[in-house]
Amino acid sequence: MAYDFGLGIRAYIANRVTDKLTRVSDHIYCCRSGSAADTQAVSDIVAYHLDFQQSETQEAPLVKTAANLFRQMCYRYRDQLSAGILCAGWDKKEGGQVYSIPLGGMLIRQPFSIGGSGSSYIYGYVDSVFKPGMSRQECEKFVENSLALAMMRDGSSGGVIRTAVITEKGVERKVILGDKLPKFFEG
Amino acid sequence: MSILSYNGGDVIAMKGKNCVAIACDRRFGIQAQTVATDFDKIFKMGERLYVGLPGLATDTQTVSQRLKYRLNLYTLRENREIKPKTFMSVVSNLLYERRFGPYFVEPVIAGLDPITAEPFVCSLDLIGCPMITDDFVVSGTASEQMYGMCETLWTPDLSPDDLFETISQALLNAVDRDAVSGWGAKVFVIEKDKVTVRTLKTRMD
Amino acid sequence: NLSLGQKGFKAPTAYKTGTTIAGIIFKDGVILGADTRATEDTIVADKNCAKIHYIAPNIYCCGAGTAADTEMTTQMVSSNLELHRLNTDRNVRVATANQMLKQHLYRYQGYISAALVLGGVDIAGPHLYSIYPHGSTDKLPYVTMGSGSLAAMAIFEDGWKPNIDLEEGKALVKTAIRGGIFNDLGSGSNVDLCIITKDKVDYIRPYEESNEKGKRQGSYKYKRGTTSVLTKDVIRFDELDIEVVSEEAMETS
Repeated sequence: MAYDFGLGIRAYIANRVTDKLTRVSDHIYCCRSGSAADTQAVSDIVAYHLDFQQSETQEAPLVKTAANLFRQMCYRYRDQLSAGILCAGWDKKEGGQVYSIPLGGMLIRQPFSIGGSGSSYIYGYVDSVFKPGMSRQECEKFVENSLALAMMRDGSSGGVIRTAVITEKGVERKVILGDKLPKFFEG
Repeated sequence: MSILSYNGGDVIAMKGKNCVAIACDRRFGIQAQTVATDFDKIFKMGERLYVGLPGLATDTQTVSQRLKYRLNLYTLRENREIKPKTFMSVVSNLLYERRFGPYFVEPVIAGLDPITAEPFVCSLDLIGCPMITDDFVVSGTASEQMYGMCETLWTPDLSPDDLFETISQALLNAVDRDAVSGWGAKVFVIEKDKVTVRTLKTRMD
Repeated sequence: NLSLGQKGFKAPTAYKTGTTIAGIIFKDGVILGADTRATEDTIVADKNCAKIHYIAPNIYCCGAGTAADTEMTTQMVSSNLELHRLNTDRNVRVATANQMLKQHLYRYQGYISAALVLGGVDIAGPHLYSIYPHGSTDKLPYVTMGSGSLAAMAIFEDGWKPNIDLEEGKALVKTAIRGGIFNDLGSGSNVDLCIITKDKVDYIRPYEESNEKGKRQGSYKYKRGTTSVLTKDVIRFDELDIEVVSEEAMETS
């Protein structure tokens, strides 16, 4: 089993409940950061390609395929796009996976990854707390704590936490409202 | 200075009872220097349909020719006179085709429907956003002055003669407060059975 | 144009709609609202313009930004959707309209400045989208756009609740647009509303005349013959016969 890590980010909140976790296939989701227009356009195109592949091969697409499609788009149009994407999901071949495609269009697989404007505040936290092979509950708590900490320190992150847990069985979405966030030292 | 006021010039149109009027000034200048005083900015596009094209003079002529071309194709294909509202769409499309490198004209259309003789006035901006009104439209370098004049002078249901006085005075008093327009004026009053074209005596300074 | 800009010419202004537009989802459909002022820099160009555009029989769209862009973009999408409707023999979906609009705007990378509120009811129920000029979209139960969007959003944040009924919904949208009309200089005049339900569209224009014009006390009418005329030509016609009657130059005053 594997777990996805949601991140919520964005400057003046045109929309305080934006869903930055976007479906690209039944078992693959992505988190978008950067220009909303760019990331929406890119994930729409990737979703289209994966749908197309799925109906041609009659098989669920691999997370690696999705991540590579993101990489191709982000790299080819790297001068025009400002898009940082985390792509995660579950497939039969490799189980749960997390990929990160940062600004220039590089692709890297990681045991966990963070991105967006608030992420720099929490590298220390995630490195100190993360350990391989956590249980589902541990993972969820890890993600929620990381996000709450980032939202606290970053002026342009905030609102609600949205998480998605992707397993073989599918996706379970959860929303943690602003008043239900994990509390830490607030000065 | 905006390229729209490089040559100067104004057009105004008004609705009356069963009639419409459209008028323009006659100056063609290059910034402050007046070059000609017989430069008409209103073009006949049909029996009872006229279009005024104030703005950059070179585009005034280009656009009038392109419009005439599209209009001829329309009349040939449809074998009937164009409705003013349809003509508005023609103008709008022509201008929007140049969305990112526009013609510097802000057209005004005035006319009567060829079948029902319903009065029609409208104006467009330089990239073709149409605006239909049921009173008056103004366009050109003295548009602010003309807005002021029209808001006070215009009343509903003017007869052709009263409409002529109203539109003429609105235009004249407006261009007198604008340095780059004036030097003569031309007024078209369009009615069901006739079009009356008058040139006006104006200040020449 | 760039070179003209460097020579010191200011780019001319096109009609913009300093605008308040808004929409909400209510119990049985969608309510869209808009003010009716068009501005050209600081001049009020049109005191009663229509900002709620037709997209399809079950879909309407409010536009803010450059007026020509909103007008032409909605017209184009509307005609493409009509062809789509005739081809498929089905009512078009709001999601389709949204996708077409965002792809068009994204292609032009924000140079087409159209900020839209798209609303409609289709087979899957009521939908409401806000679409930004760069091509990003949000799907929400209540949205506002344009220069008066902050004023209008304040009203929504205060008064919105899920499953609102028709009368309450209309009143809420009206109040939101009025918030824009009176607190944002770019928005003004009247409130237009468009209520879309499963089998009916109610386009109310104007829904409310927020600003009535004062009654005129006197008359400024000029007497006939005030204007001095140099020449007068009369083009007479009945049906298609044209007869030109030229008169002597006339001098009055």
